[in-house]
Amino acid sequence: MWTRMNELEKMLNNMDIFRSRLGSAFQDFDRVIEQRHPWATADNYPRTNLNDTGDNLEVIVEVPGVSKDDINVKIQGNYLELSGKRTREVPEGYTVHRTEREANSFSRSFTLPYEVDADKVTASLHNGILTMSLPKSEAAKPKQIAIS
Amino acid sequence: MSDNKALTPSNKHEVNAARELPVVTPAVDIFENTNEILLHADMPGVERENISINIDNGKLYLSGTRTVTDSGATRWQEFGAAEYSRTFSVPQSIDIPNIKAHLQDGVLQLQLPKLEAAKPKQIKITTG
Repeated sequence: MWTRMNELEKMLNNMDIFRSRLGSAFQDFDRVIEQRHPWATADNYPRTNLNDTGDNLEVIVEVPGVSKDDINVKIQGNYLELSGKRTREVPEGYTVHRTEREANSFSRSFTLPYEVDADKVTASLHNGILTMSLPKSEAAKPKQIAIS
Repeated sequence: MSDNKALTPSNKHEVNAARELPVVTPAVDIFENTNEILLHADMPGVERENISINIDNGKLYLSGTRTVTDSGATRWQEFGAAEYSRTFSVPQSIDIPNIKAHLQDGVLQLQLPKLEAAKPKQIKITTG
């Protein structure tokens, strides 16, 4: 009887393993587009990179198919908000075979590691990549203290 | 078809260099009407010079590489350099010399016109 129970338990354990594998398979299904980047989910769209170049923070955003008029950037202190919308124009009189490119409005906010000077921010959009250079505010820059 | 192959030399060097990059499948939209097929592919960050479009034997090979400039210390990185690559089957009735490609805002727009012979025709009935 006990051996039977053990076998049953083993089987149930195996089923658990199978279930978790199935779960991860379903998750993978959602990210067919970019398998190498597991963080590419809907939660963090658009994807961004943040670099610190000393005086500036550099934010790089991936926004294919979005014109510059459709992107809004809001900065306050060390808070950055990106919003915008991506439209898909189905050309008149065409039948649709495939629509994988999402048409949606997006919004994403960040807490930057430093306060930035919102007046001196520059932004450029090239080939669907938005590059923003955010100068750190004077208070956030390192200061040399003279000893008297 | 063998003639076509002679026209497009394979750049084995390039392929090897690109193999180290993660390969990404670009998301596409495909539309069709009686005159043409439109293909829109998301390829953010790819320069015009780094896109190659090859058609051979009913297959359309689309690929492009993008590089990401790193300046300063990385705080976080959610995307990097990548190779976009995707293959499509295209009907033989495509007018290959008249294919147009346009890159705007990181979206590649391909226009594949159909051959005259492949377009639907209305037959007029004459009465004698």
